[in-house]
Amino acid sequence: MLAYVIRRLAYGFVTVLGVLLLLFVLFFLYATPVEMARRAVGEKAPPEVLQQWVANHGYDKPRLWNAESPSDTLLFEHFRRMLTFDFGRSDADDTPIVDHLRQRVGPSLVLTIPLFVIGLGVSISASLFVAYFRETYIDRTGVVLAVLGMSISILLYIIGGQYLIGKLLRWFPISGFDPAPAMIARFMALPLLIGLFSGLGESVRFYRTVFIEETSRDYVRTARAKGCGDGRIMARHVLRNAMIPILTRVVVAIPFLFIGSLLLESFFGIPGLGSMTVDAIHGNDFAVLRVMVFIGALFFILGQIATDVSYTLADPRVRLE
Amino acid sequence: MSPRRASAAGAAAALLSLAACSNNPYPPADDTLKVRYSALPGPPKTLDPAVSYSALEHKITANVYETLLEYDYLKRPYTLMPGLARSLPEPRSLGGGRVAYRFELREGLLFQDDEAFALGGAGRTTREVEAADVAFELMRIADPQVTSPVGSTFAKIEGFRDFSARLEELRRQEEGFADLRIDRQYERAGGIAGLRVRGPHQLELVLSEPYPQLLYWFAMPFTAPVPWEAVAYYDGQEGRDFFKDHPVGVGPFKITEYEKHFRIVLERNDNWYGIQHPEWRAPGAIYPSEGTPEDAAAGLLDPSYRGRPLPFLDRIEYRIEKETIPYFNKFLQGYYDASGIIRESFDVVIHEGDLSPEMAALGMRLEKAVDPDVHYLGFNMNDPVVGTPAGEKGRKLRQAMSLAVDVQEYKRIFTNGRGVPAQSPIPPGIFGYDPDYVNPFSQLDLERGRELLSEAGYEGGIDPTTGKPLHLTFDLGDPSTRARLTYAFFVNAWRQLGLDVVLAATTYNQFRDKVNRGAYQIFSWGWIADYPDPENFLFLLWGPMAESESGGPNTANFNDPRYNELFLAMKDRENDARRLEIIRELLGILEQERPWIELLHRESYSLIQPWLRNVKPAGLSLPASKYQDVDAGRRAALRARWNDPVVWPAYALGVAAVALVVPGILTFLRERQ
Repeated sequence: MLAYVIRRLAYGFVTVLGVLLLLFVLFFLYATPVEMARRAVGEKAPPEVLQQWVANHGYDKPRLWNAESPSDTLLFEHFRRMLTFDFGRSDADDTPIVDHLRQRVGPSLVLTIPLFVIGLGVSISASLFVAYFRETYIDRTGVVLAVLGMSISILLYIIGGQYLIGKLLRWFPISGFDPAPAMIARFMALPLLIGLFSGLGESVRFYRTVFIEETSRDYVRTARAKGCGDGRIMARHVLRNAMIPILTRVVVAIPFLFIGSLLLESFFGIPGLGSMTVDAIHGNDFAVLRVMVFIGALFFILGQIATDVSYTLADPRVRLE
Repeated sequence: MSPRRASAAGAAAALLSLAACSNNPYPPADDTLKVRYSALPGPPKTLDPAVSYSALEHKITANVYETLLEYDYLKRPYTLMPGLARSLPEPRSLGGGRVAYRFELREGLLFQDDEAFALGGAGRTTREVEAADVAFELMRIADPQVTSPVGSTFAKIEGFRDFSARLEELRRQEEGFADLRIDRQYERAGGIAGLRVRGPHQLELVLSEPYPQLLYWFAMPFTAPVPWEAVAYYDGQEGRDFFKDHPVGVGPFKITEYEKHFRIVLERNDNWYGIQHPEWRAPGAIYPSEGTPEDAAAGLLDPSYRGRPLPFLDRIEYRIEKETIPYFNKFLQGYYDASGIIRESFDVVIHEGDLSPEMAALGMRLEKAVDPDVHYLGFNMNDPVVGTPAGEKGRKLRQAMSLAVDVQEYKRIFTNGRGVPAQSPIPPGIFGYDPDYVNPFSQLDLERGRELLSEAGYEGGIDPTTGKPLHLTFDLGDPSTRARLTYAFFVNAWRQLGLDVVLAATTYNQFRDKVNRGAYQIFSWGWIADYPDPENFLFLLWGPMAESESGGPNTANFNDPRYNELFLAMKDRENDARRLEIIRELLGILEQERPWIELLHRESYSLIQPWLRNVKPAGLSLPASKYQDVDAGRRAALRARWNDPVVWPAYALGVAAVALVVPGILTFLRERQ
């Protein structure tokens, strides 16, 4: 397995190099440094100030080739910085990007970890429940609700949820963030509820299909014939045998918990990495965007490898070679 | 479940239900405090006063960095008054066009408490403000590493550019120079020749040319005194903040919490001279006693406030609200003290230009103010078809296109009727604005437009060289559907003349690139005043400011010799009759030449909660918070009344779920049996 992991990591490294090259093309060949400067310093800034900003941020180097000093180019600098995790400073506010990441990963995790854990628990429980009652009206109602739920845009959930629960019913604050222990639950309740509901339909429908496939297998009938209780069959046998498709969805998602949720964070004013990415897009902060895309690619590759490894833990028949 | 577990679960449920009981985003203990709650649409990029140039950031810096001069809170047109300075300095001619200004600072002014002052002596937490602190800030503006956007404005100070060059040279050439403490670097670079510290409290500025507008810049945070200790200490090293995130000023408030992505808290600065020395009765430290009759009618001259020492608030809290809908809903719940009006709710809030009965019943007030800005459509005057190279033909084409635009209709459709149709670049409240002036080319007159087009050689809008409608391009820096719909209004207007104008909507970067290359014909732009002087608007059409040549803000590339000459004669004059005469002549040139089709001076509508007092809308960034007050008791009572939670739907939902699921389970189990 070690050889497999090393090989996958090597492939992953090549993929990362490709991602970095693509990033360079997208971000350095698309926008001129002067325009980035204009966004950062302000529309009214005179040309010499823009040039000064460009020089201060090192964007005045040759892009691809410098005959006098081959390593003194934007391309080399881009690869060097990313591969050594020396992310530099934000184009928008000059703060070290590492500081941004450190400050904003916490609020993201405050939202994404409960959302992930509760969401997984609720969707698996609900799926087991409707799968158990399959071909009854509970199952059919569940499927209809799931299809309905997954057909609605998350934006509608957010705006509708804020209006209904925050404005009309006045249960929770409409938006905001406060890390104080006395306030955090109050602010997180609504985004958690909305995040949970918006993702529930799709998950329940997927897991239900997996569980129904499993419940029609011979070992379930055998267990039942041997007098095993329904709850025990579903929880211990069906769930365990359905782990491969569950892991395929779940493990790859874990690294992305750190990146946060773009829409939920933006609409609820949660200062996490998701809203930082949205800010970077709006503010042409290409330095931050490059880092976030790079981290996203890294996490995706690591998530894939972790998924493969997790198969061997869930199913001893799987061998990685 | 064990009793212990049950009690833990019960406690958790109780806690959760407690949390669920309120939509109040603030700790209940704050309900009775004089806190002003505001929202910002995004985090500030920088609070460094030498760099910060956005209205959003000035909302904060204007409260923290008190300036040498200020604007009178109530008087309009905007009038300067002394702030940290004892008086407004008078210009003193030195011959050869050189002018000197001498500022005298009040004695006994203190910076806010801050640990940075320990750099000047162990245990120090503050020190007196000196003229050298203002000189230091001006040197920071000249420092190339600071990247201040207003360097060119202060380049009129003698030796300003030389200082920048020397500093850059020393940093490049001399090893270890860049590691010296910042004030020592400036000292080694010899300072700015035209910046003379004449004593602990006297600062003299020598300008190489007259520039009366300079005084306005001393009412902006750019020129506020800044202690070298703060810049040296807050360097981002060893866990310390960056100076841009840790302001240290002389203002009525100081930042006590700077979580810039969700909450910024300012508290009363007890070192502020208004609190330390109320006996001075300094104009910037007491509530004004004079204002207009409108101010009196709006309750801004309430006898209980007139002449009272400032500030009235204990704390100002800014929350970051990026999305407008949640922000506005929270305002309606009473969690913000004032708000603009979002597009989605405009019709609910405003009825026939006034507050709707529902809003008025809540006790809210509507404040309207015309902003000192101008929004316009511009022609690239270097273009061979619409610009100066086309001569008389081009001028008549521009005049005709101007006559086809119905600004009133534009205002009705796209701004909910807000705004004053612009007749010239100069907005109301600025010297040179004439409310009776009607620009003949700013009125809808399609008949005359067609005649002019015909005189220009485009009969019925047809280009004789192609035999087809004259093809023009309207370049936009916003590819959104909303922008396209907005600007299609003008395209349709020009289509009535027979012209074929095409919208070229690109990203902002691509648009800027076109502007830099001069590859554009028609564009839309706006300008917000830096200071209340006509020079700040008329320079937008001054030839040497042409964007395609010099990168200046004259995006129309208008370069009319007579205009350029008159502008120079106008820009440094006092606001006298001759200046007014010159301005009229300048506006006459613009009227005929039509490099712009002026659209609107925007009008802001603000909703004010009943508990917020002394709000006077201002288009310029003023330190308004020190004049404002809140009635915390009334706010708490109204909030409680407006935010009683509705809980029955939760129970109804629970009952419905049980009613749906339980019969199914029972039936299933019965059938299984």
